[in-house]
Amino acid sequence: MKKALTVLSLALISQASAATLTVWTHFGDAELAWLRTQAAQYKTKTGNTVNIVSVPFDQIPDKLIQSAPKGQGPDLITTLPQDRLGQLAAAGVIEPMDKYVTSKTDLDKTAVSALTYQGKLFGIPMFAEAVAVVYNKKLVPSAPTTWSAFLAAAQKNTSSGKYGYLADLSNAYMQYGIVSAYGGYVFKNTGGTLNTKDVGLANAGADKASAFLNDLRYKYNLVPEGVDGGAAKSAFVDGRLAMFLTGPWDMGDIKKAGIDYGIMTFPTPPGASGKWSPFVGVQGTMLNAYSKNKAAAAAFARQISASDAQVAFNKAGGRIPVSLSARTKLKADPVVVGFGKSISAGTPMPNVPQMGAVWGPWSNAIAQSVQKPGQNYGQILDKAVQEINSNIK
Amino acid sequence: MTHTMHPPIRRRPTNVPPQGTRGVFLALLILSVLIGVSFLIGWLLSGLTAQVLPGAPAYTILIFMLLTLLVLTPLTYRLFPWITNWFYLLPALVFILAFTVLPVVLTVNYAFTNYSGANSGNPDSASRTAATLSADRLTVTLPEQQGQNLAEFLKCAAPTCAGGTIVLYDEEASVPYRQPVRAISGNTVTLAAPVPETVEVANATRINRYEYVGLANFQEIFGKASRALWPVFLWTVVFAFSTIVINAVAGLILGILLYNKRLKGRNVYRTLLFLPWAVPAVISVQMWVALFNQQFGIVNKTLGLLGVAAVPWLGDPLWAKVSILLVNLWLGFPYMMTATISALSTINDDLYEAAEIDGASRWQQITNITLPLLRTSFTPILLSGFAFNFNNFGIIYLLTAGGPAQEGRESTAQSTDILLSWGYNTAFVSSGGQNFALASAIALIIFFLTLAISLVNFRAAGVFEEARK
Amino acid sequence: MTAAPKTPSDLPPGGYVHREPSLLRRALPWLVTAALVIALIVLGQALVQNMQGRQKSFSIYFVERGWVRFLLFLLAASGVLALTSLLGQRIGMARTGRRISYAAVLGDQLTHLFLILVVLVAVYPLLYVLIAAFDPRNSLFAFPDFENPNILYRSGLMPRLDVLSTENFAKLFEGVTIPGWQLLLAGVGGASLATLLLLMLVGRFGRDSVGLQRTRTWALRVVIAALAALVLFMTPAQFTGFSNESKFLLSVRNTLFVSGVTGILAILLSTTAGYAMARLRFPGRFQMLLFFIFIQMFPVFLALVAVYKLLTDLGLGNTFTGLILAYSGGAIAFNTWIFKGYVESLPESLEEAAMVDGATRWQTFVKVVLPLSGGIMVFIFLNQFIGTYAEFILANVLLTGVEQWTVGVMLRSFTTGQFSTKWGVFAAASTLGALPIIALFYGFQNYFVGGTVSGGVKE
Repeated sequence: MKKALTVLSLALISQASAATLTVWTHFGDAELAWLRTQAAQYKTKTGNTVNIVSVPFDQIPDKLIQSAPKGQGPDLITTLPQDRLGQLAAAGVIEPMDKYVTSKTDLDKTAVSALTYQGKLFGIPMFAEAVAVVYNKKLVPSAPTTWSAFLAAAQKNTSSGKYGYLADLSNAYMQYGIVSAYGGYVFKNTGGTLNTKDVGLANAGADKASAFLNDLRYKYNLVPEGVDGGAAKSAFVDGRLAMFLTGPWDMGDIKKAGIDYGIMTFPTPPGASGKWSPFVGVQGTMLNAYSKNKAAAAAFARQISASDAQVAFNKAGGRIPVSLSARTKLKADPVVVGFGKSISAGTPMPNVPQMGAVWGPWSNAIAQSVQKPGQNYGQILDKAVQEINSNIK
Repeated sequence: MTHTMHPPIRRRPTNVPPQGTRGVFLALLILSVLIGVSFLIGWLLSGLTAQVLPGAPAYTILIFMLLTLLVLTPLTYRLFPWITNWFYLLPALVFILAFTVLPVVLTVNYAFTNYSGANSGNPDSASRTAATLSADRLTVTLPEQQGQNLAEFLKCAAPTCAGGTIVLYDEEASVPYRQPVRAISGNTVTLAAPVPETVEVANATRINRYEYVGLANFQEIFGKASRALWPVFLWTVVFAFSTIVINAVAGLILGILLYNKRLKGRNVYRTLLFLPWAVPAVISVQMWVALFNQQFGIVNKTLGLLGVAAVPWLGDPLWAKVSILLVNLWLGFPYMMTATISALSTINDDLYEAAEIDGASRWQQITNITLPLLRTSFTPILLSGFAFNFNNFGIIYLLTAGGPAQEGRESTAQSTDILLSWGYNTAFVSSGGQNFALASAIALIIFFLTLAISLVNFRAAGVFEEARK
Repeated sequence: MTAAPKTPSDLPPGGYVHREPSLLRRALPWLVTAALVIALIVLGQALVQNMQGRQKSFSIYFVERGWVRFLLFLLAASGVLALTSLLGQRIGMARTGRRISYAAVLGDQLTHLFLILVVLVAVYPLLYVLIAAFDPRNSLFAFPDFENPNILYRSGLMPRLDVLSTENFAKLFEGVTIPGWQLLLAGVGGASLATLLLLMLVGRFGRDSVGLQRTRTWALRVVIAALAALVLFMTPAQFTGFSNESKFLLSVRNTLFVSGVTGILAILLSTTAGYAMARLRFPGRFQMLLFFIFIQMFPVFLALVAVYKLLTDLGLGNTFTGLILAYSGGAIAFNTWIFKGYVESLPESLEEAAMVDGATRWQTFVKVVLPLSGGIMVFIFLNQFIGTYAEFILANVLLTGVEQWTVGVMLRSFTTGQFSTKWGVFAAASTLGALPIIALFYGFQNYFVGGTVSGGVKE
C-alpha cells in the first residue's frame, strides 16, 4: 500500500513539473494559427505543452457541462460569450478567476462586468462583438443618421436585382437593438442587478419592435422572406446590396471581395423611445473548475489576453479587442472603430443562468412575427414570455 | 413457413432443460449469477489493478469481466449441461445488458427526478465562498450571504440541513471534497464527520443536487399537452403514415413500369434511380437544405422558370411539412421500387400469359394479378416502414431541425418536430434548458407508443407466429 | 429468407388461387384512393392559399407563365413520340412479320419520356451538388447572372462551368502529409480496385471462368487489406492544416475504422444468437427473442446522457472504442432476426447429417452453417457499416475535437457554422464522403437488395 502511494505521488509530481494543458477552442483558420503560435511561445517560456482541440462553438457549453465533472474536460476554453456563463457556473464547471487576474485596468469595464457573475469574474475577456450596419460606399456615399434618410437610401437602392437593406429578421440576437430601442428588455436592469422575475420582451415597446420588423419586410418591402445571414452577405459581396446588418465575423469575406465599405450604427427606428442598442457579447477565456493545472492554465489565459497578443489576434481575425491599450494601437482600423461604436452603444447580453430559458421561446416569437404580414404581435410575445417564466420558475 | 411441415426434432435428450416457466427462470437465475459473479470479480480485479497501477484505465473492468466469463462458462456447463443452449445467446445478451439495458434503466430512473443542466448533482461555482474550518475539523464557518439564510444557500432539503452535503475546497480549489452535514446554526455548518487532515479547507460551496420528484415530469408533459404532446404526436403519425403511402405509390408505379421486359435500357433507369438510396442520408438531406433555400435553391430557380413564385420551402410551417414528405419521397422511393421489382420477379410469368390469352388488358392484368400478389409481400414492408418513420429523427433534425416556429407551441416542439426530436430538443438544445429528466420522461412515453405500434404491426405481419416457430 | 412471412412460395404451384373478395375488400382500394385524392386537394388548396401575396424572390430569374411553355413542350414531345412510334411499329411489323400493337409501342415511348423526367428530377440534384463541389464561389449561394444570354446561366439552373476549379477539394487536403509507404499502399489498393472493376466488367460481358473468379477474390482481398492498413496506420499527426475541413481525410479514416469494427462486431454478436433462435428448442428462447426486439425499441439517443455517463465512467469517453461499443449494442435484435430468418431457410438435413456423423451442435454451427452464411454475413456487415457511416448524433456527443470527428459530424459542422456555412466545402466533402458508400452499394447491390427487401426493414 505504501509503495503504491509512493508511485502515486511520484506520478503526481512528474505531472506537475511539466504540465500538459488542454484547450478547447472554436477558432479556425488564421485565428487557430495565432493560438498555436501563442501555445508555442508559452511552451518555450514555461515548458508546459498546450494541446489545442477544435470544438464547434455551439457545442462547447454542453460538452463542458457533461465532461468536466468526469475529469474529461479541457483546462481552458477559448472562448465563450457571457450568455451561458451563469448556466456554466451553476453547473459548477467554470472556476472564478479573480485571484488569477492581477490587474484589470487595461480591460474595458463593460467587458469585465459582462463576465462577472455573482461578484466573481468567470473569464478573462478577450474580445467583444455587436452587430452594426455595414454599407457599400459606392451605393451609399455618406452614412444616413436618421431613419428617414436611412429609408430613403435603402429604397433608392432597392430595384430589380438590387437591394437597399437586408438583415436576418428572424434572428432575435441580431434584432435586439430594435427591441431595446422601443423599450423592450430581457431582464429589468436596476442599478446593475438583473431582475429575472421581470421579463420585458412582451411589453408595449417589444410589440412595436415586432411590428417594425414586420414592416421592414412587408410595408417598406426591403427585406424579402427567406433572407438569412448567408443570403445577405452573398448579396453584399456581389455588390448588389447597399447596407446590411452583420457582425465582425463577415468582415473577412467583405474585405476579400474588395468592397469599399463603411460601418455605422442603425438609426433610431420611427416612434422609438430610445436609441438602437444591440446586444454586446463579450467572449472570454474560461477555466475548468475541475482542471488539475489551474495556475498554469490561467497563466496561458493571461498571456493570450495581453495587449500585444490581442493586437496580433485582431490582425488574424479582425475581432474587436477589449484591451484598452490594444484598441488604442488599432485606432486606425475601420472595423475596430466602426464596431467599437456599436459596442459602446450596446447592451451587454445578460449572463444569468435564466438566459438559457429565454433564447428558445423568444427566438421563436421573433421568427413568427416576420413569417407573414400583419400578425397579433402582442399575443405571440405574451405566449413566449409565459413560456419563459414557466421555464425559469 | 414451409419448414413447419416436419415437427421440430429434439436432440441430446440426456441434456433436456427443465421445461416450462420454471426452466426459464432457472436458466435466467443461473445466467444472472454467472454474469453477476463475473462482474463482481471484474470489479474487484480492476480495483486491485488501480491500486497497483494508478494510471490503469477504468475499462479494465470490462476486460477482467470478459476473462472471468470465459473461465466460468465451462464450469457452469459442467454443473448444468443443458445451459449450453443459452451460451449461444450469451454474447448478444451481455452486450444488450451492458449497452442497452443499463442506459435504459438509468434513463427511466432520471424520468422521475429533476435532473437537468442546472440540477446536475455537482458543486456550484457561482456560490463558492470563503470558509474557515474549526480546530476540531468538525464545523465550518461561512461568511454572511446577502439575503439568504444558510439552508437556502446550501439548497438543503430540510431546514436543519441534516443529511445535506457541503463541498469543501483547498486554496487551489483542485479537488472538491464532499462532506455530509449534521446540522446548521447561523453561519456555521456542523459536519457529520471530521474533515481528514489531508484536506485543507479554504472555500466551500453547495451542491446543485437532483432529487426524486415522483410523476412531476409526466404531469408537466400532460399539463401542456395541447402545446406539445398532442400536436407533435398527431404530426408524427401523419408524417409516418403519409410518407409511407406516398413512397409506396411512387415505388409501385416506377417498379411496375420498370418491370416491363420490353422496355429498352431499363437497367440504366434502375441504376440511376437507385442513386438516392446509395447516397448516405446524412449527406443528401443536408444537400436538400441548400436546394430548398428560398432565395438561392435550385428548386425555386426551376419554379421561377415555370413562372411560380418563390416557395418558402423551409420557412413556413405548412410548406416545411410538405418539404419533409418530398425529401423523404426522394430518399425512400428507390427502396420501394426495388422491393416492387423483386416481388414482381417472384410472380409466375405463366399467369400473365394465361391472362393475355383470355384477352385481359394490361390494366386488368395489373389490377387483378400484380397488385393482389404484391399485397402479401408489401404488408410487412409498409408496417416496418411506418415504425421506422415514426422515429425517423434524422430527416427532421437535418432538414428543418423541427422548425419553422409556430404559434401556440412550446419552443422545443415546433411545427415539424416529431416525438423523438421533441425529446432531443428538451435534453440537448439550449431552449430546452438541458432538462434531461423531462426528456427521459418523453423517452418513456415514446417507448410505450413504439411498443404499442410494434405489437399491432407484429400481429399483422405474423412476426409472433414466426418467432414462436 | 422467411422474414417476409407470406412470400408467394406458400401459394400453390400454380401461383394464384382465385377467391372472390368481399364487397368491402373490393371497394377498399377505391375508398382509400378517394380519401387520398380529397386529402391532396385540401392540401393543395391550403398551399395555394398559403402562396397568396407572397413576394417574388429577389435572387431568382422569373419567367411569366413559364409552365404554359413547359406543358406545350411536353405535348409536342408526346406528339413527336406518337409519330415515331407509328413509324417504329410499321417498320417492326414489316421486318418481323408479326403483329405489333401500336398502343404498346406508344406506351413504351411515353414510359421512356416519363422515366427520363423522373430520372432528371431524381438525379439532377446530385449532379448539381457535384458541379457545385468544383465551384470555388460557394455557388449554392451565388447570384445567377441575370444578363447572361444563356437561359441556364441566367436562371442559375446550371452552375457556371467556366469558373470550375478544384479549390474546394484543395481545402480538404490542405496541410495533409502522406508518407511514401501510404502512397504505395494506396497505389496498390487503387490498382487492385481497377483490376477488380475490369474483371467484373469482363465477367459481365464475356465468359466467366473459375480463374477469373479466383483473381477477382484475390483483388478484393488486396483492396480490403490495403484499405485496412491505411485506416489503421494513418495518424492525426499527418494533418497539419489549420482549418477543420483540412482534417477531412482523417474523419474518413475515423469513420471507416469505427464502421468496420462495428460491422465485424455485429456479425460476432448476432450469428450465434440467430442460430440458436432458429434451430435450438429450449424454454425461454421465444421470450428472449421478444426481449431483444422490444428493449431495442427504446429511443436510444434519448438515453444519451446515460450512455455518456456509462462510457466516461468506464474511461471510454471520447474514444473510438466507446463509440463502437455504443453502436454495437444498438442493432443486435435486427441482425439476430435477419440471421435467424436465413438459417431457417437452410435445409435442416445438412446439419442432421453432420450430427449423425458425430459432430456437436457447436461444430455443426461452425463447420456447416457458417460456411453457408457468407452472403447474409456480408449483408449484416454492410448494413451495419453503412448505418454507422451515416450516424452522427451519438458520434457528436461522445467524441470531442476535430481529430476525433467522423464524416457525418464534420459535414454537419460545415452547414451549421455559428454565422456562416461553407456550402462549397460541404459539396466537395459530400462528394468524396459519399463515394465509398455508393461504391459499396453498387458493388454489393445484390446482397444488399436481397437482404433489406426480405428483412422488410427500411434503412
